[in-house]
Amino acid sequence: MPPRPPHERHVPSSAISSFIEPERVEALLAPWLPDAQDRAFVVRCMLGEGPAHHRGANYVLLTLLGRVLEHLPPLDSVPAPMGEPIEVPMRLPPHLAKASEPKSYPLRLPSQPLEQLAPRGSRPFEAMVDCLTDGPPQHALSNVAMVTLLTEILSRLERGGRT
Amino acid sequence: MTALPEGLEQSFTVAAGELGMACAAWLFVENVAREAGDAGVGALRDALGRPFPVLDAVAAQWLAGARALNTDPSRLLAAVEGSAGLVVVGLEAFFLDVLVARLPPDTRCALLCHSPFDVDWERVLSNYGGRVEPVNLESFQAWAGPRSVLLTFAYGVGGHSANVLPAWVRATGEDVRTQFRALMAWDVLPAPMFVYPRWLVEVDAASFTHLFQA
Repeated sequence: MPPRPPHERHVPSSAISSFIEPERVEALLAPWLPDAQDRAFVVRCMLGEGPAHHRGANYVLLTLLGRVLEHLPPLDSVPAPMGEPIEVPMRLPPHLAKASEPKSYPLRLPSQPLEQLAPRGSRPFEAMVDCLTDGPPQHALSNVAMVTLLTEILSRLERGGRT
Repeated sequence: MTALPEGLEQSFTVAAGELGMACAAWLFVENVAREAGDAGVGALRDALGRPFPVLDAVAAQWLAGARALNTDPSRLLAAVEGSAGLVVVGLEAFFLDVLVARLPPDTRCALLCHSPFDVDWERVLSNYGGRVEPVNLESFQAWAGPRSVLLTFAYGVGGHSANVLPAWVRATGEDVRTQFRALMAWDVLPAPMFVYPRWLVEVDAASFTHLFQA
């Protein structure tokens, strides 16, 4: 099939769902989500819910980060230190949010790479955390999963540079 | 033609509300069969099948030789293992009874008090001695969380679709779907619908994370 011009590129959503392999991303995230049910929940939020183009984009980006990891020798301890992990809040409706115990997703945001960009506790740092963890779960959890993989990638690169 | 007692539709409506459509249907079919045999079940189907399609399907199952409901919750219990909370959308009493009886004590259970029928929820919940807590459409999200599960009863799964109560569709919007670890359905009517499935809505079977056949 000849490539379509960019403005006519839309494909049927079935074409998107057909290339997504959730088990591949589940395997990729296993070191950070050892519980199989937690893993299935987070991966469903990223690849099984929300608009089709987000599901597909999440899959492509996460899988490519996984490919990068495959090319880097693993550290002695996997996963790499994450700093102090930050919870990803579950957004309940306002009338329930105050009354019930705060809920969070099982995957937490590594603080370690963000601390390379801004001091922990600073306003820019807090703003970065807010940007990465806000919005619908298919965004927030994918952001966090990507930062998690980037943390591992950066740690392996740094270790490789030192030896 | 076999004569049926007066007021069956009214009494079935009450039973369907407080037992669930499938359980009430089995109760009525078994009792009519005991009194009037297959001819009675046929008459019951003719009288109430159109307004109550689940009763129609259960009567058809009976006439085809089925004689018992399979309420074994083992596979479902294995899937909810480790859950902190289970919110049940819809009521099928015989199924809920066995499930609640075998639910681990550290798994809280709630029932969404929403039905197409008039239901005395206090009376329904009193059967569970405080083990099942009431929630409504405004409050059930307080049970959301990474260790929480939503469960409903399905009424026939055919091809890629399943029939569920309207409450399930109202409860499981895009916001809620990502706030519960699993979205499960327990199919209590493993038979095709013969008449229009009124009181129910069709959903994509793939929208459940788990689907259990009775």
